[in-house]
Formats: sequence, structure tokens, C-alpha cells
Amino acid sequence: MLDIIINVLIAFLFGSILLGFHRKVMARVQLRPGPPIIQQFLHSLKFFFKETTFPKTASMPFYISIVCILCAIWITAVIIGPVSKGSLLLMFAVYAVYKIVEHNAGSSSGSPYGKMSCVRAVFSASSELPLFAIIFIIYLQVGSMNISDIIAYQNIHGSLIWQLPLVAIVLFILILSKSPYSPFGITKGKDVISGYETEHFGLLRGYIMFSESVSWYIFSWLFLTIFFGDLSILLYIVGMLAISFLTGLINATTPILNPNHSVVSQISIALVGIVGSLLLMFIF
Amino acid sequence: MVKMKKLVKYGYILFTISTLTILYCLIFNPAAWIVYSVAILFIPLLILSFGLTTMATPKKDEEEDRVQEPFIGY
Repeated sequence: MLDIIINVLIAFLFGSILLGFHRKVMARVQLRPGPPIIQQFLHSLKFFFKETTFPKTASMPFYISIVCILCAIWITAVIIGPVSKGSLLLMFAVYAVYKIVEHNAGSSSGSPYGKMSCVRAVFSASSELPLFAIIFIIYLQVGSMNISDIIAYQNIHGSLIWQLPLVAIVLFILILSKSPYSPFGITKGKDVISGYETEHFGLLRGYIMFSESVSWYIFSWLFLTIFFGDLSILLYIVGMLAISFLTGLINATTPILNPNHSVVSQISIALVGIVGSLLLMFIF
Repeated sequence: MVKMKKLVKYGYILFTISTLTILYCLIFNPAAWIVYSVAILFIPLLILSFGLTTMATPKKDEEEDRVQEPFIGY
């Protein structure tokens, strides 16, 4: 239990610092000073002490519990990932549930922006799940879906990033689509204000920000562990900062795509990644 | 306002239950599946209940506006 609590705390603290760094990179690219790196962390805590009101249109137990479920699924991801180094297939399931939660969080508030975001969550699920489905290529290469087996494989055969570069690109696109202000972030596009988060304010917003910080840490951890093996703490920190820097750089210089373009782009990338990786495996 | 007070009350109850359950797992070290279930269920509940107990509530003269104001945002 202590292991889980410590990992959740690390995921929250470091995840929020990474998201703050991501925001800072975006600001600097756009020639703005940007908020301090610690701002995301401070915001998450601040909202817990803010006045919270609940919209009359909200479907009440659901409106609060959906935020709780969002946190529960990312704590599940912490257990599957850093704590027990379990199966990637379970991680895929967590991601699928996350898309459903995104959908339901939008619909629970009764806000039109939330509902629009809820519809877009279905669109984005149809394109992001194929991106995550590329993990079956990892299974073909390694012969196991377990993260611990993948680490053991890399200890013998070297980093997977050199053997499966297209898979790494596809999973990076998945991480990119989950980063704030992403070109693929149609569920939280500014045309729908804050998407499914629009009517979640006060402590519920702080709670969502907590889950987002944990999810960002988990995505970065997963990418580094799958493609580079079990790294030292210093290399994990450098790797996570590099991922946040790269996504920040891309997001600062690209507009948010419209839903159709986003879905088609992501499905095309997934298709190229899967077919290309299979061809590479058969050729070499 | 009654609704808010009710939520704060639930917050205290949930906070106590989740703290006790997590402490049970920390002290007695039960089977792995129990620890995982408690972590998945009660860590989110602990955070939510903490938020429900710490959130600020509207001032007396503003509470009517906060609770009874119709949804006119759009």
C-alpha cells in the first residue's frame, strides 16, 4: 500500500511539474514569459479550497462521481505501471475506460459545451484506440505484453526504439494527443471552451487536474519504459522532460485540428505505423 | 445551501472511512487484491472527501445567488 501511495504522490508531483514545464515551453516559443513551472501544481491545490457550486443542469451523483472514476482509472494505471509492471493490455483497457469517462464527464454537466466535447470524445476514441492498438506489434517482437518481460527483453536485445521506430512514433503521437493544447486535442478544443471540463469548477477542477498530472506522468513513464527499458531515476527525469519539451514545442506551433482532420490524421498515422512495422519485421 | 451542507457532511464521513481503510492496509498488510481494490476505490474517495471538507462555501448574503440563480451562462 505504501508503494502505491508513494507512486501516486510522485506521479502527481512530478506530473504537475512536467505539465508546468510543458506550459512554459509553449509560452517561450510564443514569445510570452508564461507562468512559473510550479503553477500547474499550485492551481491543483488552490482549487481544493475554492468555493464550489454545482450547476442546476448537472446530473448530480454522476457529475461528482465521474471525476472520482477519472482519478480511480489513473490510480489503476499507476498500479499496473510503476508499481507492478503488469500487462500492456490492461493499460490499453485503462485507456479505453478513460475515453468513456471523458465522454461521460462531458454529458454529466448538462452544458452544451460539455455535450459537444462528449460527442468529440467518441470521435477521438475511434482514432486514439487504433494508435494504442499498435502494442500488438510489441507483442510480436517481444512475445509478451508484460512490462516486466519487455524490460527483460531490452536488457538482452537492446532498446526497442531501434527495433520498432514506427511503433515509437505512433505511441508518441498518442502522447501528443493527450498533451494540453494538442493539435489532436479536439475534446478540449478552445472552440468548446474547456470541453468536458467546462462545468467542473472548484474542487472538481482541482481533482481533474490531479488526475491529468498523474496521467501525464504515466504516459511518459510508459513510453520510456517500453522503448528504453528500466532507466535510472535521472534518465527517467531527463526523458520525461524531453517528452514534455517536444510536445510543448509541437503544440505551440500547430493549431488544433478540426475533429474530422484530427481523426483522419491519427487513423492514417496508426495505419502507416502498423503496416510499416509489420513490413519492417518481415523484411529484417 | 442544504445540499452543500449535506455534501460537506458526506465529505467528513467518506474521509473517515477511506482514511481508516487505507490505514488498515498500511498496518495489517492484507492480500494483494485487497490492497489494490482499496487503493483504486479509497484513494480517489479520500481526495474527493478532502476536497468536500476543505472547499469554501458561499457567504450568507450571497448563498441565494449561488444556489438559486438559474443557469443563464449560454
